[in-house]
Amino acid sequence: MSTSYQLKRADFIFKNENDWEDVLRKSISRPPNELINELISSELKGRGGAGFPTGLKWKVTSEEVNDVKYVICNADEGEPGTFKDREILSRVPFKVLTAIAICGHVIGARTGFIYLRGEYFFLQNELNKAINEFEYYCKEIKFDFKIKIFMGSGAYICGEETALFESMEGKRGEPRNKPPYPSSFGYMGKPTVINNVETLAHTYTIFKYGSKRFYDLGVQYSRGSKLFSVSGDTPKPGIYELELGMSLADFVEEFGDDDTKAVQVGGASGFLVPRKRFAETNIGFQGKLVGISLPTGGSMMLFNSSRSMFNVLDNYLNFFAEESCGQCTPCRVGCQQLLKGIKAVKRGEKNAQYLDKMLKLAETMQFTAKCGLGQSVGNSFSSIVENFREEMIY
Amino acid sequence: MNVNLENQVDTKIIDEIMSKHKGKPGELLTVMEEVQEANDYKYLDEASMGYISSKSKVPLSQIYSVATFYSFFNLKPQGKHTIIVCRGTACHTKGSKILLDDLTTLPGCKDAFDAGETSFTTDDKLITIKTVACFGQCALAPVVAVDGVIYSNVTSEQIKKLLENLQEENKDENIRLS
Ligand SMILES: Cc1cc2nc3c(=O)[nH]c(=O)nc-3n(C[C@H](O)[C@H](O)[C@H](O)COP(=O)(O)O)c2cc1C
Ligand code: SF4
Ligand code: FES
Repeated sequence: MSTSYQLKRADFIFKNENDWEDVLRKSISRPPNELINELISSELKGRGGAGFPTGLKWKVTSEEVNDVKYVICNADEGEPGTFKDREILSRVPFKVLTAIAICGHVIGARTGFIYLRGEYFFLQNELNKAINEFEYYCKEIKFDFKIKIFMGSGAYICGEETALFESMEGKRGEPRNKPPYPSSFGYMGKPTVINNVETLAHTYTIFKYGSKRFYDLGVQYSRGSKLFSVSGDTPKPGIYELELGMSLADFVEEFGDDDTKAVQVGGASGFLVPRKRFAETNIGFQGKLVGISLPTGGSMMLFNSSRSMFNVLDNYLNFFAEESCGQCTPCRVGCQQLLKGIKAVKRGEKNAQYLDKMLKLAETMQFTAKCGLGQSVGNSFSSIVENFREEMIY
Repeated sequence: MNVNLENQVDTKIIDEIMSKHKGKPGELLTVMEEVQEANDYKYLDEASMGYISSKSKVPLSQIYSVATFYSFFNLKPQGKHTIIVCRGTACHTKGSKILLDDLTTLPGCKDAFDAGETSFTTDDKLITIKTVACFGQCALAPVVAVDGVIYSNVTSEQIKKLLENLQEENKDENIRLS
């Protein structure tokens, strides 16, 4: 796969099209089922990290019987190394608003929310202006739909969908048990579709051009394009829209500085890939592709040979220890233990075998932690410790 | 504590804020945010939290547990100016620790951070130093925010200049770094 695949740029998300009014009007005149089928055949999967099929999510929520439902656009974007959603909301806000409203039409919701990360307060004014213009048009075409912004208060865990609902309800942002899922019991206990900003922007493309245009991009199991937030040791940091399925080798060829030692795919909760694995690693969702497929919310951070992988891991673990909501023991205690542990090994207070004990702990967290935060600590921990063991030792 | 009594928010203002948001879902967070904003030192003082609790019938313990959960709530008086240094991975690898070290030369600051505090305010309440997990500006690492203005690719020299500018009487509002 990787030998034949080249980096393919795409240009849908930021393409400036002033036709949102058309797209909205045409879409809401189509029956919900037709729109759902369009999404299903596009094979769009969530761009917020977990990769759940978007069409299916809208379908099950549309089938819930309830007078009140909600659409929520997840703009919490807290994963360190990710900065694409901010860019979408500032450059093409109307695509996102249109997509939220179309989703409302499909599932039968009259209210949408944008849960905006607190650090992005500077987006608020422009976004509110866009919302006013948008709602004005909705009124004109007699489409009853309202969109409100909800500002986050600075907690990474609130990006997790159920923690986000709790926070919108004025409580501590602690993840709920699942099931029940948001499709039946979401914000205020009502059926809710929650989608990432980028996911919604892609639905706009799909409703405008039809599913085939989207489906024809990417590879099997990983259709379409995706925004990547590229940072670290690269001559050209920034945001790029690329077709899914590329090999990491091609990516590094394009974005590396000729000295790339490793790439962290998917931020703190993602995986570190060392140079020797670049060729066999593809960027996309899990499937039966040759080699390894890594999903990502879009963060691609490059490290060159001057970087210490110990420092990188130390930084990630500090982040998790700080952001763990503390609700469940495996995560609360586990993050602290891992952080203390790697420091102890580094200082020579524990021997190298202690790393193996910690790898077991990280694996246990994967199965016992309550939410995605605790479950994914092991991703970066194991991939860094296994591939750069010598750098962890004093 | 004296300092709290001096800094508490006028209960009339709190009443206004509470009635403005009455009945809206999630009102507690919004009320707390606005009350904090109304405080001269941008923090939730004990008296105000107590007042919100008695008025809203939400137990003080719950208000306190919400306040401690979110990093936007301050439980201590904040300085007139705030410098926030990003400790995210992109910024960290590009030297944000050095920038933080430059700031922790302020008397008492290093001890506070070493003791696990996440924020420090100078005794004269002029400057608050904080860190953030990531500004979402990683392409511009290392990133620092001074009173809400983002500075990118910041060097050690530059952060010292920013700090000095805040400490001077006649602060240059439009300081340029390069
Ligand atoms: C700890 C944690 C943080 C998350 N942060 C975000 C976030 O900032 N933005 C986001 O869109 N999804 C985030 N998610 C994923 C959401 O829970 C949810 O899956 C997503 O919003 C669904 O949208 P999608 O299907 O369009 O991807 C996070 C998940 C976890 C476990
Ligand atoms: S895994 Fe961590 S963040 Fe998630 S619920 Fe448990 S303690 Fe909270
Ligand atoms: S890591 Fe500093 S802005 Fe993202």
